[in-house]
Amino acid sequence: MSAKLPPGLQLEKVDDRIMTLNVGPQHPGSGHMRIIIKVDGDYIVHTDPDPGYVHRGEEKMAEYRNYITNIPHLERPVIHDSCNILYPYCLGIEELLGLEVPERAKYLRVIAAELNRCVYIQYWLAIYGIFLGHSTMFMWPTGDRELLIDLLEKMTGARVTHAYFVPGGIRNDVPPNFEDVCLRQVNYFEKRIKEYADVFYDNPILISRTRDTGVLSREDAIKLGTTGSVLRASGVDFDIRKKEPYDVYDELDFQSPTLKEGDSYARSKIPWLDMFESCRIIRDALKKMPKSGSVRVKLKPKPKGGDTEIYRRVESGRGALGMYIVSKGKPQPYRLKISVPSFRNLIAMPHLLTGEKLGNMPAVYWSLNYWPVEADR
Amino acid sequence: MGTATGIIKALNSGIKHIATKRFTFRYPEQKLKFVGDGYQFDPTSGVGIAGYKGRHILFHDKCTGCNLCSIACEEIAEAIAMPKVPEQWKHNKKAIMPQIDYGKCVFCGLCVDACPFYALYMTNDYELSSFTKEGLIYTPAQLQVKPQVQQDVEIQIDEKGANHG
Repeated sequence: MSAKLPPGLQLEKVDDRIMTLNVGPQHPGSGHMRIIIKVDGDYIVHTDPDPGYVHRGEEKMAEYRNYITNIPHLERPVIHDSCNILYPYCLGIEELLGLEVPERAKYLRVIAAELNRCVYIQYWLAIYGIFLGHSTMFMWPTGDRELLIDLLEKMTGARVTHAYFVPGGIRNDVPPNFEDVCLRQVNYFEKRIKEYADVFYDNPILISRTRDTGVLSREDAIKLGTTGSVLRASGVDFDIRKKEPYDVYDELDFQSPTLKEGDSYARSKIPWLDMFESCRIIRDALKKMPKSGSVRVKLKPKPKGGDTEIYRRVESGRGALGMYIVSKGKPQPYRLKISVPSFRNLIAMPHLLTGEKLGNMPAVYWSLNYWPVEADR
Repeated sequence: MGTATGIIKALNSGIKHIATKRFTFRYPEQKLKFVGDGYQFDPTSGVGIAGYKGRHILFHDKCTGCNLCSIACEEIAEAIAMPKVPEQWKHNKKAIMPQIDYGKCVFCGLCVDACPFYALYMTNDYELSSFTKEGLIYTPAQLQVKPQVQQDVEIQIDEKGANHG
């Protein structure tokens, strides 16, 4: 090769032992992101996650829209968890405007958020199954997810992008006899997810592939700033629903599951255990919910006073999801910053993948509970 | 638990499902049933009525051409335009009514929330596909038509499992 290169360009020096692999950006599994991996034989020696392929400028878009028309586009980063991504936004603006949410709306919001969390986890679990070549585990969660999507459809009128939460409550009350239908389907759903233990979580093939791969110690998990299921799988009991209860979470009976191991197996098990707690929360909320009453208070056109800033966060399907809203007394937010759990869990990826075998890459990558579109916002 | 027992248990839990009724249903022949006639909104109480957010329905005898639905959509999808209609209404002097482009609509239903005259609702009709882009644009006359939908399948749960009947 003696072809002359254009000025300013030079060939990269190639190591004899190290090979560079581009995993992605066309769907390494789900979503658009690239992982640049350097391998020495079968072992990964360097990892460089490269997100940003689906950046949509959600934060900038929010500055040009008023508080109510921000709702449909703000749920786009995670359409499978659309109730939970709108939750901190609504909580923040209620505080900004001084709105008092009716009691029934608070309970219905918790039910919708928990149903949505299960829908998200089922989708995540289906992809985790197919990542490990377990096609039954792709079909089962996808099918059982339909039960909860059906419930959310009855509640909100849409299957995936609900646009259900608004500052000041929810957009519509549930249809009559929703409580019975919800209870029946959630009980059946809980029975179904118990069956996943035999086919997936106690399956020796899964255990051999995920046990002791990508171990994240308790200290590292805290130091790297991970959140949600990744943090709880490493033995840190941190759940926003427990630590900073919002709406009616402090009145409901549930626990946040924690495991000590910190490996891919523990990280894949925490969301599954979370779904049982979600079923508990839904049942408890249906029991304690006021049987009738208003579900929405009128929204004021714009906040009073001058500069205010607010930061509220909730526990989404992936971890702590926060929204920082700056208001200058206009009908639009002056600045909206979304602090997403996916991006924070991505930071742990180079730490976990380096030193692993290449074959373990999908098991570690997807166990981080990472959603590329949300990380790019 | 040994490896062999674990694998047998995993296979067994799958085999149990061979005899059960399938969960899915045959879509174009059967359709899922929804609650009510579609999403509606009551401006006096400020709260919506639960229902599926599908294609809109426009009541020509109530629409005043006030532009509020179009203004609501302006910052969301820009799907609503306000063309002239040939009809003459006493309450609609400008004779303009919404025309919705379903190539752009995101079915959030905030236009229904914006309408103060009970003129714009949503229906259970979701089969809007078309061979041309123009076919997705629904004129006020098309939006007036009540959709003919037959939806009857519901999730049924018994001891054996869930199915669609």
